[in-house]
Amino acid sequence: MRHYEIVFLVHPDQSAQVPAMIERYKTIVESTAGAIHRLEDWGRRHLAYPINKIHKAHYVLMNVECDQAALAELEVGFRFNDAILRSMTLLKKAAITTPSIILTSAADESRGRSKRVEEDVEVDLDIDDKEEIIALDDVETSAE
Amino acid sequence: MARNMRRKKMSKVSADDVTGVDYKDLDLLGEYITETGKIVPSRITGVSAKFQRQLTTAIKHARFIALLPFCDSHE
Repeated sequence: MRHYEIVFLVHPDQSAQVPAMIERYKTIVESTAGAIHRLEDWGRRHLAYPINKIHKAHYVLMNVECDQAALAELEVGFRFNDAILRSMTLLKKAAITTPSIILTSAADESRGRSKRVEEDVEVDLDIDDKEEIIALDDVETSAE
Repeated sequence: MARNMRRKKMSKVSADDVTGVDYKDLDLLGEYITETGKIVPSRITGVSAKFQRQLTTAIKHARFIALLPFCDSHE
């Protein structure tokens, strides 16, 4: 039994299938007495470069402990699944269970973004008021 | 004179950090690639050879799963 770190990219249109996919891969690993030590769903991220003319993808990270047969089955599954754009498997020396940097930083960012969105809304309201005033002025001048 | 002037060797990662460089740590990797996405040589950054090897593999892994660009001329 070895430790592997697997990342796979799912087509953004097939994001809804991700929980089912994870469930399927979980059963493959666990049916051969393996274990999943870390499972992270990074959600839809912007790609650094387009893959198959697609600019966004749904990322999933799995740290698993399994034998070679289970890993081969997983990789065949990745290769023949059209929804999976790309996958990467790395050999690790030990099980990793702490949340990854990407997941923690994404959580921080989303918290910051929600604050920023609130500020934007306030600013937008102000602009709208001004536009209405200007529009009213226009109407008055055109009536004359 | 100029030939003897050496940039001070320095590394962000301390010696007791045995886990190595993580390809998911984009903030760290971003410091060692140029604006065009190339890996910066260790003679410029002054990092140790061991750390540079770890960086190189980490950056290449991150590029493969599209966390980092290969270059700046992608569409």
